[in-house]
Amino acid sequence: MPRVFRLSLVVGVLALVTAACSSAEPVEGIEPPTPITSTEMQQLLAASTEPIVVNIWASWCTPCRSEAPLLGRAADAFGDDVEFVGLDVRDTPAGAAAFIGEFFPEAPITHYADRSGQIPVDLGASRGVPLTLFYRPGGELSYLHFGVIDERTLALQIDELVSG
Amino acid sequence: MEFTLLAAAAIAGASAYTMLWWEARHGNAARCTGNLWEIGVVSAVVGIFIGRIVAMVIDGVNPLAHPMDVILVRSGISTVGASLGALAVFAWLSRREPTAMADGIAAAALAGLAGWHAGCLVRGTCLGTASDLPWAVAQAGSTVTRHPVGVYAAVALGAAAVTLAWWKAYRRAPAGAPASIAVIAAAATRLALEPFQPSISGGPVWFYAAALAVGIAGLVWSVLRR
Repeated sequence: MPRVFRLSLVVGVLALVTAACSSAEPVEGIEPPTPITSTEMQQLLAASTEPIVVNIWASWCTPCRSEAPLLGRAADAFGDDVEFVGLDVRDTPAGAAAFIGEFFPEAPITHYADRSGQIPVDLGASRGVPLTLFYRPGGELSYLHFGVIDERTLALQIDELVSG
Repeated sequence: MEFTLLAAAAIAGASAYTMLWWEARHGNAARCTGNLWEIGVVSAVVGIFIGRIVAMVIDGVNPLAHPMDVILVRSGISTVGASLGALAVFAWLSRREPTAMADGIAAAALAGLAGWHAGCLVRGTCLGTASDLPWAVAQAGSTVTRHPVGVYAAVALGAAAVTLAWWKAYRRAPAGAPASIAVIAAAATRLALEPFQPSISGGPVWFYAAALAVGIAGLVWSVLRR
């Protein structure tokens, strides 16, 4: 009897975990990000009147997926003071649309696409993803973060943009 | 990037081990002092693992569909999940004499937490909210000075660990009191420093307050039981 009870407990816990862990389903009707050139991106940054956070991601990038929920929460929390821009690199339109639908269906983030992956290099970063760049109004780079960004760093750098 | 997290974990482990080593030479209350290190490390590692899975579930990422995401601890660990997971594993592993083992590891756990927070110097994550205090520091390229909140936490927890270890070594502590004091110190430090932490959605203040209440209740119980 105790063996049956233990087995039932394990099965029950597994079922609960599986049910609780279901990922968000891709949302219908999400458009792929708009293609943008390096010149257009730099013009966008230079013309900005408020701070901009640029997150560079790709749907095939596992670390990008792991940090995406945090960026969505940050955009929801600070979207009034800071503009959030997503730059999808070296990706397919379908993959990018599914990624946006899964992680940023309603987050105030404007997404662009760079099929060549050259824009991050032109911005002074690298070809690796994820990357997060923090710009002051007018396009001055405040901070460049390589790799997965954590909550403390993201919050601190946004505060630097807002209070600076 | 993840190497700085490993460095911080190494500092935490070294701090906890040093405290256990010092306590063993000064009459640690637990009879199984040698096992405390192993039990502590296993509890911490499993706690981090559970905390990461809880964070993934909260973020809507399926750990079964994306198992490799579990190792991306920089993306976030649930403090509540990690703490409760580590405590549950510790309780299970030390179930034969839980009070003595909890008292035995109390100061080392605080020292480990102090070491973890001191690791912010390696990770570059010491700074908190803006401040004009004389010891406030600015990050490179900025004019905004800030609370070195990671250093505050390391100093507070380190002082609590040393005081607790000294008390255990030279005074006769009631059974359960050192563990309760460790919980109080850890919870009070996190609760007091939460307003200075940079955060997107805020820390689990309710959890720190609940842990503080549990620690105080445990201390009262251990003193009355004596």
